[in-house]
Amino acid sequence: MSKITIPFGPQHPALKEPENFMLVLEGEQISGATINLGYNHRGMEKAAEDRTYIQNLYLIERVCGICSHSHTTCYITNVEELAKAEVPQRALAIRTLFGELERVHSHLLWLGVAGYEMGFETLFMYTWRDREQVLDCLELLSGNRVHYSINTIGGVRRDITAEQKAEVKKRIKYLEERTQYYIKLATGEPTVLARTQDVGRLPYDVAIERGAVGPTARASGVARDVRKDDPYLIYSQLDFKVITHNTNDVFGRLVVRALELVESYKLIHQILDGLPEGPIAVKVPWKLPAGEAVNHYEAPRGEDIHYLKANGTDKPERLKVRAPTLANLQSVAYMLEGGWLADVPLVIAAIDPCMSCTDRAAVWNPEKGRTEVYSWEEMRKLGIEHYKRRGVDFGRL
Amino acid sequence: MSDLANEEKIKADLEKEFHGAVSNAVVQRRNRVWLDAEAARLPEILAWLKARGLNHLATVTGFDEGENLGASYHITDTKILVTVKVKTPRAEPTLPSVLASFPGALSYERELEDMLGIKIAGLPAGRRYPLPDDFPTGQYPLRKDWKFVPPAGETEAK
Repeated sequence: MSKITIPFGPQHPALKEPENFMLVLEGEQISGATINLGYNHRGMEKAAEDRTYIQNLYLIERVCGICSHSHTTCYITNVEELAKAEVPQRALAIRTLFGELERVHSHLLWLGVAGYEMGFETLFMYTWRDREQVLDCLELLSGNRVHYSINTIGGVRRDITAEQKAEVKKRIKYLEERTQYYIKLATGEPTVLARTQDVGRLPYDVAIERGAVGPTARASGVARDVRKDDPYLIYSQLDFKVITHNTNDVFGRLVVRALELVESYKLIHQILDGLPEGPIAVKVPWKLPAGEAVNHYEAPRGEDIHYLKANGTDKPERLKVRAPTLANLQSVAYMLEGGWLADVPLVIAAIDPCMSCTDRAAVWNPEKGRTEVYSWEEMRKLGIEHYKRRGVDFGRL
Repeated sequence: MSDLANEEKIKADLEKEFHGAVSNAVVQRRNRVWLDAEAARLPEILAWLKARGLNHLATVTGFDEGENLGASYHITDTKILVTVKVKTPRAEPTLPSVLASFPGALSYERELEDMLGIKIAGLPAGRRYPLPDDFPTGQYPLRKDWKFVPPAGETEAK
């Protein structure tokens, strides 16, 4: 059968964010896949060099709308390490609490997206309704649903009262019951099993070889979790399990995330029950002494790593952000090969991709020196020419 | 120093194994080792670390230090994080590819080529990342002398 290459994205109804996969098809089966990224690159690393450390906090929060807390925590851990700041225990506990609430909201969001991609839209409706509970918790504690802005250099911006504590516990209790139902669904519902088992396989060796992280790696039996391996915040004082699974497929990724929800609830209760007394922030000087620091953080999607170099001023010399999706995308090409075209959206969704995290550089053409507005005809022409250069002719359509 | 035994051992073993090619090795704190290395021996050093169980290349940070460009390779087993720093002259910046031991490094190496203009010897042909296809050649946004100039006549959205 002759091979045909089709572009999947950057704009495609089955993708939530811009990314492009060039799929080589033999009939309905995929024999090769290459990934093209960069459509969301916003130049954040360059922009960070022109901003002070506190301004960067707000920039870095906007790396991603889902793991905003992961990125800022990773960033300020570096800042505080270089400033040699002693952050109060209560602040660290509150940061950990937000980290886990964020994981719950992200995993529930993913469960919904996975349900949607496998054609099980009821699951999508259920989990997104329940996700409101945790978003309400975040709003209650921070005032915001998405960019919580709880972190500040040297601590956190808001304290937690006894009433808030009780309200969060109440909502988490409700979610615990619901999650038991999701676990039953994920492991027993025939629709789910038929759509996820043996789909998008990623064996252990390949996961290691391609640098997969987070639930994607853990579903291939890689028992790695930064919270356990290189504990930050207060994770070394908390009791939780690293969830792994050995089926290496989308089903495994589903199970890992569902069970991680349970661990997160456990963590949230432990943190709230043992919240240390004391101040929530210390003052940190605006200028950092020259030095380098690198820290990683277990974001909902996997290891997020930030590198920071300070030069003695109030602005960083270099800031590097590597979000988990970039590490996982090399594995997606492998998962797609040999699979079926109809499984593509599900396999891609199974790593829980987040493109705004992954692409971070601005694109601007200084030679043209002006803003251009394309007409529909020009836009269409541009698209046809672009794909022609890459071997696909849409001119006839 | 007993609580830093693992870190000290990696540092000592690296210095012994790659005598002369590794310098300024320090154990910064628990789980963090930093070192400078000779660019030519980078693939060897990374392969050696991988064989030691540090088989996850977390990311690569490219940098511009004026006379030199370079990159820091952050390698880890999620416990110990070793940062290997290599430099290359600005006049002709070239670094060897590490894809032989870390195939997952493809996008990190493309990023070094795109954002800093460091030529990666041994990198297979492919589409650029992360800049768009029509980005002007010879412009490397992460170099310190590259400045963002807003397009003439454009006003900030309020």
